[in-house]
Amino acid sequence: MGSFPLQLSIISVLLFAGPHNVMEFRYFAARMPVRWGRSRLYYSIGIGGVLLLTAAYLTLYFSSGSWLWSMESWQNYAAVWNTTFVIWVGLLFYLRGKQRSRDWSVAFAIVFLLAALAWVVPQYFSLALVYIHPFIAMWFLERQMRRTKPEWLRAYHFCLLSIPFFLVALWAMLWGQPNLSQETNLFWRIGQHAGSEVLTSISSHVLVATHVFLESIHYFVWLLLIPLVDKRALPWNLNDVPMFASPNGIPHIFATFLVISLAITLLLWFGFAANYTTTRDIYFAFAIGHVLAEFPFLVKML
Amino acid sequence: MKKLLSIATVALLLSTVAFADIAKPGKSPVSNGKPSIETTLDIRLDSEAKEARLIIPRSQIRQLRAELESLDDGSDNMAAAVATSGSSRIQTIMSGLFLSLAFVFGGIWFVRSGRAASKAGKGAVAIVVISFVSTTATFVFANAGPPSEARSITGKMFAPAVHMYGFGWGKVKLEVSDDDKSSVRLIVPNPPKTAGTPNEEE
Repeated sequence: MGSFPLQLSIISVLLFAGPHNVMEFRYFAARMPVRWGRSRLYYSIGIGGVLLLTAAYLTLYFSSGSWLWSMESWQNYAAVWNTTFVIWVGLLFYLRGKQRSRDWSVAFAIVFLLAALAWVVPQYFSLALVYIHPFIAMWFLERQMRRTKPEWLRAYHFCLLSIPFFLVALWAMLWGQPNLSQETNLFWRIGQHAGSEVLTSISSHVLVATHVFLESIHYFVWLLLIPLVDKRALPWNLNDVPMFASPNGIPHIFATFLVISLAITLLLWFGFAANYTTTRDIYFAFAIGHVLAEFPFLVKML
Repeated sequence: MKKLLSIATVALLLSTVAFADIAKPGKSPVSNGKPSIETTLDIRLDSEAKEARLIIPRSQIRQLRAELESLDDGSDNMAAAVATSGSSRIQTIMSGLFLSLAFVFGGIWFVRSGRAASKAGKGAVAIVVISFVSTTATFVFANAGPPSEARSITGKMFAPAVHMYGFGWGKVKLEVSDDDKSSVRLIVPNPPKTAGTPNEEE
């Protein structure tokens, strides 16, 4: 990982990006009740927020080169998006606290502090989201393990504690390395995604290797560990999906969504084979949807 | 209670003793790449001048403008970086607003949760208040500015008593002169001393 970070980044995204999204969709579907009941408000804000924020993000992403935007207005819009995102997450925490008859209104204080940071240091805030995202999967695994395999928790916590050691070892090995090659647009994009243009004093070799390490763990958790811990997450166990198996469910709609998601994964592979750079850019633009969708289901597990 | 008062007194005393007045960094003799021209500054004390004026010959303005234009042609990236570096006004307003909201909501939650009534909560509040007061006292005392003589451009700025600060500032009117042979001139109001006023230069 330290020796070939660019190559590993390319291969891991090619092989695992699409399948891990399918596994996430399958997992969220298994956790979604057929009737929302007293969680109606929670899921409405959760799913609604995902759709709105994704649409806003895509608008921001695909119009970034437009002459309609000045640098300052684009930055302000990005900060508004970040602010809306953290307030939405805070609202989900607050609503979940109300469901559990607990006062989690402190979430708003934390959220407003994060919003202030999003305005003061917008580039660092956005980069922090890139690096925090892999840990969301680890948090999901921890919550799921508490429910279905509590006897594995201790070992899992030790594994989590080992991650900083691996990171320090990686940084120690690579700290003096020069920046990675930017001879192609793809290499430049991979470095830019890892924050090479924000953290200019740190070698892009270190940044890309760190990002690939964390993203690999993220893929590993979704593709292997969560199905291992929760058999309901196995993709072929459709009878464990309430939307499919319940008498009040929507089996045809769910099956259609599942087929579409599998088709998109195949299309993604064809796209990567035909034009990796463009497909990668399009994938990461739309991937924000799956990142946002993790939050309502994660907070619901707290 | 006595312990708390003692700690508070010690913290306040230490904060006044801690002179945090860091000297301004010295000017680097190496050019920092900004447009500039070599010229002479002629400072004149004028008893009849009502306001400070900086008079710059037109030819030197033209030179400076030419330097700026040549800099603009070759450094769009730097301009963009300078334009984007630092906080814009809206960034400052929004971050300040959210920071205030964070404190308000945090404080309300702290009081509502009942933690404020417990011993640990009271202790935490006391520590925060004392830290805030001592930090503010340090800032206020450390940022005490120079006397008014150093904060306006008049003849009094040249008095020895003001020299200890090593700097001063004040409003100045910028004018353009058509006399290309003259140097840059700073006209400094120097009102005559009234009877009974001590001569500061003696």
